[in-house]
Amino acid sequence: MSETLSNWIDWLPQLVQGLLVSLQLTGLALLIGLPLGLLLALLSASKTTWLRRAAIVAVEIGRGAPALVVLQMVYYGLPASGLTVSAFASGAIALGLTTGAYTSEILRAGLNAVPKREVEAGFALGMTYPDIMRFVVIPQGILFAVPALMGFAILIFQATALTFTIAIPELLARAYRVGAATYLYLDVLILAGLLYLAVTIPFGWLVSYTERRMSSHLG
Amino acid sequence: MTKPGHSLTDEGQPSPATAGALAPQGSQRAAAEADTIVRIKDINVRYGRYHAVKDACLDIRRGEVVAIVGPSGAGKSTLLRAINMLEQPSSGTLQVGDFTFSVDHRLTAQDLLKLRRSTGMVFQSFNLFPHMTVERNISLPQMRVLGRSRKDADARTAQLLERVHLADKAQSYPARLSGGQQQRIAIARALALDPKVMLFDEPTSALDPELGLEVLAVMRELAEDGMTMIIVTHEIAFAADVADRVIVMADGAIIEEGTPEAVIRNPSSPRTQRFFRAVVDRR
Ligand SMILES: Nc1ncnc2c1ncn2[C@@H]1O[C@H](COP(=O)(O)OP(=O)(O)OP(=O)(O)O)[C@@H](O)[C@H]1O
Ligand SMILES: [Mg+2]
Repeated sequence: MSETLSNWIDWLPQLVQGLLVSLQLTGLALLIGLPLGLLLALLSASKTTWLRRAAIVAVEIGRGAPALVVLQMVYYGLPASGLTVSAFASGAIALGLTTGAYTSEILRAGLNAVPKREVEAGFALGMTYPDIMRFVVIPQGILFAVPALMGFAILIFQATALTFTIAIPELLARAYRVGAATYLYLDVLILAGLLYLAVTIPFGWLVSYTERRMSSHLG
Repeated sequence: MTKPGHSLTDEGQPSPATAGALAPQGSQRAAAEADTIVRIKDINVRYGRYHAVKDACLDIRRGEVVAIVGPSGAGKSTLLRAINMLEQPSSGTLQVGDFTFSVDHRLTAQDLLKLRRSTGMVFQSFNLFPHMTVERNISLPQMRVLGRSRKDADARTAQLLERVHLADKAQSYPARLSGGQQQRIAIARALALDPKVMLFDEPTSALDPELGLEVLAVMRELAEDGMTMIIVTHEIAFAADVADRVIVMADGAIIEEGTPEAVIRNPSSPRTQRFFRAVVDRR
């Protein structure tokens, strides 16, 4: 046991390095995915039939395809189509696409939760439809979606482990590297698991705190 | 009750006498026409096959306060909502200020915005924007719709908040206010755009009687200031007191209209008599 502990202390610095990469990937995936998700949510409510259909198809594909498949397709597909991007960029883009597809559903539910009577009040005031969307519907729709989006952020953080398949030095990849060198796979994977939990559990608390605060704030 | 130089309505409404003097000389009728601000002619509204408003005709003069009463489902809200085109009539013509609607007239988005800028609407359920402070609820439409600067909008907002006796609530969020306070904010928000006509759809129905009173008090002041108002209401006593004219609707049609005395105390149609008897019995 004390031997495991001293091993853990040895490995911790490199695993923490990996954890930081995982967190960076999560951040970038959200940075790319959330605007994309909002765009898809708005398009899927569009009055223009072909725009709406295109958005719905894109979302269905994005949600239907396993994140691992999207990842591999971006990683091998982008270079094949003449674009050279690093593994890290491929990972961020792929996770961003998956994030976009999933969060568009969450954001669409948020936008739909904005009462129609507020839209009507906007019209009665003489506001244009784009203004009503911009100032009334979108801000509140995003607010309503925040708890579910935070829950999704935990999932995409866990999904960053998939990028170990394209050799991004994130947490799981580093753990495997240590395992391969020491054959102490179980020990190092337990440590990696604890590091994932050290992020997801406090973040989960933050999600439920946010949920409680929001339900008391918006009447 | 109303302080001079501090009017709820931005510009003073010209009195009928002034308008008459400007009209072609000697023509009583022209004077009356120039003074008509809302003209509803043979308006029909349908929801699918349901005929909600049937051949409604109604002219409203500048500065007039008209109450619309009648049983539930009579089409009162629908008629009111047709006036700012929240419901589109299936036939008939509608004139509000210099806005005209008729079925064979192509309506542009610009026309609609113009119409809605000249009408203010107050809903039963207030419909404030809950994620904005009271001040922003009232200032934002001024900035977006009238293009006022933030400074000008906030100044006008402060003035209106004072007039609805809520000056201390500028930085509050709607959820922190009582229903009566929210409704007064909603009135201020509509007034901030300097509408020519104010439309009220049962503004006190969602409120406790006491909170309703503070809203009615504000509406009374507004009427005294000369605002043109169309009020759908179940508050018969208020209608009798404040309205110049009472309209009774039943089954989608206007069945009676006249002064409050005539319509409420001496209704001619049996349908109206039955309605008012039911209202009295309820109390
Ligand atoms: N969006 C709609 N779709 C279908 N029918 C509707 C719609 N809105 C109203 N109606 C119907 O039209 C009729 C008139 O409705 P309206 O709301 O104008 O009545 P009202 O006189 O305002 O009644 P209340 O006093 O209950 O508010 C009712 O029978 C109602 O069911
Ligand atoms: Mg109604």
